[in-house]
Amino acid sequence: MNERTVSERADYLSRKRARFLPMLALIYFSQQVTFLSALSNGPHRDVDHFKIGAWVVLSLVLLAGLATKGFWLERKEVRNLIDDESTRANRLDAMRIGFIFACGAALAAYFIAEFQPLTVGETAHLVLTFGLGAALIRFGVLERRAHRGV
Amino acid sequence: MSERLANRLKERRTELGLTQAELAEQVGVTRKTVNTVENGVFTPSATLAIKLARALGLSVEQLFWIES
Repeated sequence: MNERTVSERADYLSRKRARFLPMLALIYFSQQVTFLSALSNGPHRDVDHFKIGAWVVLSLVLLAGLATKGFWLERKEVRNLIDDESTRANRLDAMRIGFIFACGAALAAYFIAEFQPLTVGETAHLVLTFGLGAALIRFGVLERRAHRGV
Repeated sequence: MSERLANRLKERRTELGLTQAELAEQVGVTRKTVNTVENGVFTPSATLAIKLARALGLSVEQLFWIES
């Protein structure tokens, strides 16, 4: 694989990531319907435990994809190029937004707990969902904008 | 007063007959990064600014300047 191919491959994967991240974030948020219905229905059923387990796995994958270079099966040169300066800047900005949303979710959980008891797991679920989801959307938007150059 | 980092990256790159992808390869970044620097969306680090200036045969001050 010559240098040009590495560059083209990195560009292709970077575009692909910019397209897929917002979609993944939407899937991630849509999973919350299960959580919210389980929350209002009282104790979790077995199927709810399974769905929440799937949510935990997806959270870990998305967090790893956001916090690392991602594309773990690609060559090191390609991974390094994908994670270039503008990408790192976009990721940092996305994490800043994610942090703000996570803090907002924590404050909301604190407020909700005044009226409806929340478990530690439910509170962690809310904080992680809003923090990670917001960061993913922000990263996707910034990357798409960068590819368009506007 | 708001300030922005203006540049003549596109003008100089075109003069030299380079594409964004070719310039990106020379400085070790993706075409996306060159694109965002050209359009003023992204402010490059000092390291990248020096690499870009070197690749385009200019000084950093000739390639970038601050606009008020």
